[in-house]
This record gives sequence, C-alpha cells and structure tokens, in this order.
Amino acid sequence: MIFWEIAKRNIRINVLRSSLAMLGIVIGVVAIASMGILGNSLVASVSDSLSSVGDSVIVTPYSGGGGGFGGGGGSRSVNLKITDQNFQQIKRVAAPNVAIPVYQTAEHMKIGVGSDDIVAVVYGLPSADVPDLLKLQDGVYNNGNSGCLIGPTFAKDHNLKVGSRITIGTNGDKGTLRVMGIIEERGMSFDISTDSALVVTKEWFENTYNRDADYDEVVVKVKDGDTAAMKIAIEKQLNKRKDMKIVNVMDSKATLATIYSTFGMVTTFVTAIGGISMVVAGVSIFNVMMMSVTERIKKIGIMRSIGTQKKEVMSMFIYEAAIIGVVGSTIGGVMSIMAGYAISALVLNTTKHLFTIANAFSVAEGMGFGIVICLACGFYPAWRAANLNPIDALRHE
Amino acid sequence: MDEQPVMVFKDVVKVYPLPAGDVTALEGVSFQVDRGEFISIMGPSGSGKSTLLNLMGCLDIPTTGDIYISGTRIGDMSDVELTNLRRDRIGFIFQYFNLFPLLNIIENVTFPMMLKSQRAVDPEKGKEVLRSVQLEEKLFTHTPTELSGGQQQRVAIARALINDPDILLCDEPTGNLDSKTGAGIMDLMTELNKKGTTIIMVTHDPHIAEYSRRTIRIADGRIVA
Repeated sequence: MIFWEIAKRNIRINVLRSSLAMLGIVIGVVAIASMGILGNSLVASVSDSLSSVGDSVIVTPYSGGGGGFGGGGGSRSVNLKITDQNFQQIKRVAAPNVAIPVYQTAEHMKIGVGSDDIVAVVYGLPSADVPDLLKLQDGVYNNGNSGCLIGPTFAKDHNLKVGSRITIGTNGDKGTLRVMGIIEERGMSFDISTDSALVVTKEWFENTYNRDADYDEVVVKVKDGDTAAMKIAIEKQLNKRKDMKIVNVMDSKATLATIYSTFGMVTTFVTAIGGISMVVAGVSIFNVMMMSVTERIKKIGIMRSIGTQKKEVMSMFIYEAAIIGVVGSTIGGVMSIMAGYAISALVLNTTKHLFTIANAFSVAEGMGFGIVICLACGFYPAWRAANLNPIDALRHE
Repeated sequence: MDEQPVMVFKDVVKVYPLPAGDVTALEGVSFQVDRGEFISIMGPSGSGKSTLLNLMGCLDIPTTGDIYISGTRIGDMSDVELTNLRRDRIGFIFQYFNLFPLLNIIENVTFPMMLKSQRAVDPEKGKEVLRSVQLEEKLFTHTPTELSGGQQQRVAIARALINDPDILLCDEPTGNLDSKTGAGIMDLMTELNKKGTTIIMVTHDPHIAEYSRRTIRIADGRIVA
C-alpha cells in the first residue's frame, strides 16, 4: 500500500534521524535481553551444581534456629549431635527411603613423603549407603578400613589417582589410606560437599575419632520426590515438644526453589534496569515521530483534502514507528546474543548455557518490548497527525 | 448535460466561535453550480472566499443552511463520509501545487486512485491523464522537485482529474506561475471545461477570471454579484 511506501521512503530520506532512533531501541533491546541472558545463564549454572541434591532432606542437630541464622524464640540447643536413637526414629519415618548417617570432621594429612601438611574435610559414611549418595568417576567403592574415596578437586589439587596413599593425622598418627575411587563432581551441596574432601567408612571414622553413633547429620534420599512431606514427618516425630527441639530439618527442594526464586528476582531486577534504557529510547522515538508529524503538517492537510482517511494518515506514522521498532529490535536481538555470549564468558566463564529456551525467550522479550515501545511512542504522534484539522493543516507554512 | 446541479448552496451561514466573540464569515449564501459550468469566485481579502472554498471542498460544514454535492447533503455527514466525498467527487488544485515530494509523478497522480481502490493501481490510467494535460512522457518517473512550476501544476491537475470528479475546485491555480505559464494552465482548464468538466476557481486576478463563463463576487460574507 502507498502509505507503507511513503513510511519507508520517509525513513530513508531522514536516514540519520531514523538511525539514531533505531540505535536507542538497539541499546534498549541489548540491555534487556543480555541482562536476561546473564540471569538465565546464572540460574542454569547454579542449577547444574545444585540439582543433584534436589531429592534430599538433611537433618542436623538443633542449633537454635530453623537451619539458618539466629535463634528460634524460647528454644534452647540441647544436643549438637544426632543420637543413634534419633537416627533410628528418622530411619523409621523415612522408610522405605534411605536414611544415611554422616560423620564429619576436619583433619590434617600429608600426601607422599615430605609433603606439606594439608587440612581437608573427612566424611564417615556407611559403606552400603555410599552408592546411594555418591557416584564415582574412577575406581571402585570403598568397603574396607584401609581405603577412602576422594573428591575430584582434591584429587586434581594434589595430583592423586586411584591407588595413591594419604597419611592421616598431624604426624601420621591416624594411619594411611589408599585412594580406592574418585567421586564425580557434585558442586555446591546441601548434604555433604565432597569435591575437596575424603570419604571414609563409618567404622574407620568411629575407631579413629572415638565416635559412637553420635552423628553430625543424617541425609534422607527421598525417592518419590516429596521432600516437603518427608520434612514435616521427621519434624513431627522428632520435634514433638515445642520448647525442646531436637533437630533442624532442611528440605533441599524447597531451599532450591527459594534460591531459584531469588535468582529470578535478581534477573527481573537487572532486566528492569535494562528496561530504563528502553524507556529513554521510547522518548527518543516519540520525539522523532513528533518532529516527523510537525514537518509534514501541510502534507497531511493535502492528503486529507484529497480524500485520505484519518486512519490512513495514522497508519503511515504507525508504519514508520513499526519499521524503526522492527529493524532496531532485530539488530538489537542479534547483538544481545553476542553481548550475552561475551557477558556469560566473562562473568560465568562458560557459554554452555547460552542457547536455551529461556535465553531465546529473553531475546524475544527484549525484541517484543522494543517493538511495543516504538508502537506505543509512535501512537500519539500518529493520532495527532490523523486528527489535525485539514483546513488548519493546509494553511500551515 | 445532467439535470441535477453538481453543487447547491442554500442560505449557508458559517460562524466561527472565537474567545473574543463569534465571527460570521458567510451570511446567507445561496447559489447553484450546474454540470459543465466554469465559475470564478472573486472578492477582496477577508470577504469569505476561503471559507466558501472550504465549504465547497467539503473540508468544513456550514453552521446553518444546506450544501448539496451532486444531490447529497453534506451537513449531517461523518468525517469518513466527507473524506470519501472529497476523494470521489471533488478534484483539488492548489496555488502551490502541493505534490508529494516522496512520490514520483505517476505515483502522485494515481494517489487518489489508490485511496479509492485500496490497492496498487494500473499506472496506465495515470499516464493517460498525464498525457491529457500535455505533460511530456519522459517526466512521468521524475519527482516533483525536478519539474518546473507549470509542469507541477499540470501534474496537480492530472491528480485532481484521476478519479473523474464532478467538480474541479481551484484555489488561485496560476497564483504561483508566471503569466505565460499561467495562461497555458488556463488554456488547459478551458479545454477541460469544454470536454465537460465542471470548474470552480477562486481568484483575485480579473484576467484569470475572464477564462470562466460566470463570476460570483463575494464581499463581507455575502454574494454581491
């Protein structure tokens, strides 16, 4: 249609002005979409690290609060270990799911003769339960008291392989353990963080540290995924008395949801900051369109006098705004992928989360917002042009 | 010749309400334009010529009285209907040509056709009309700014004729042209009138008014002769 043609030609003839207006939209789209990409990539990155613990309920001795900071009203800490009696209760509640008692301590150790003294976390777990909790990337599960499993970061940092030996204790007084297997990377975890740790048998841990069924925590692996129900059941069983709580129970899935929700809010916030640049671009579009209308008042008067309807005049200006919006947003969309790539590479040190549906949505969202802003900011000037009095417009010089 | 007059004014009054008080631009104006007439409207500045032109061109509606264009009363028409009436029944020719610089000559001429058909049109009709106003064919694809004043006015006349209007409404059509070019344009208008086109021309130039066959003189918002 002729009005589409006129809109195109008007943009071409005012190429600098139109380009500057488009640039505003490009910047706005890049700001919104790249912030969205960064946020999504951040969530995906964290999700990679945390998703493996999404089916766990972690029970720790009551420490005066709900597993977080501060105290819980009038409650008092009565025990910093989980007794065997408590563990048996948890086990009964958790059945048929697996409840794994966990010992934990920090220990000095040496790798090889004459090496420096290092300190690492040592976990003691029942051998039979280890496969439920940990996967190996190399070697075999440890069943004996002279072996151990080590985390991948620990192995890498100290150049350890299956078969290597580690001397435990300040002076090697706690014996030597052979590396039987290397655990798969687990990243951040709510239950046990094994990447830089050693895992030994429950029996070795009890003998070495003189512990007797007083656990540091219990991990319940919930097969049906209803961790919330498990949390409630354990609390109901163990924290019967309101004035004397025994344990803190953490639902890893709920905690994950809270973390994702927080990341979501952060993403929304940074995207909204990007949106400010889009609003500025919208003001620029509005200004350009108003200039375009003012420059063409006489032409609008001629058009109206020879039979152009108001809606046709309006369409001409809306087309102009749409062209600026679509072209600017498309360029912005392409550039935001590049910007997202660069930001992900710089901030997260990985770009593997770039090409996802969430990021495609972020780009589409930025582009859509750019087009909508252009149309919205072009609407009033277009309406004003269409509703000019043809007689006044014809007189305009 | 069709019996029905192409334009009828009956006791037309036009009052502009202004903060300082109402201004009566036209007061009880009545006249009739028959098909095929060539009328000039003359009068001094402030006499109401422009108001009369706006009413004849359906750009405005009267405060009281009736205006009929080819038998259709315009007083109660909506903006959309008035716009369609301008597009289909009236051809406008302005003093300053008022062509669209973004469109070439053919596009300028066929613009009202496109408004009417709502789609791309065959440029052949535009070329035919341009030939009838004696514009050189090599200029058809040029832009208006590449043409002389006389050529631009011929294009404007072609644009006004493209939808076969009942009336050609001219506002000082030679006012921006030298006398020789102006005479050429008036010869063309005379020729169009001879072929049956009804022409109403507002002018203050008595020499130009001589081309018409009837003159309406207006003063202080009233027809005086």
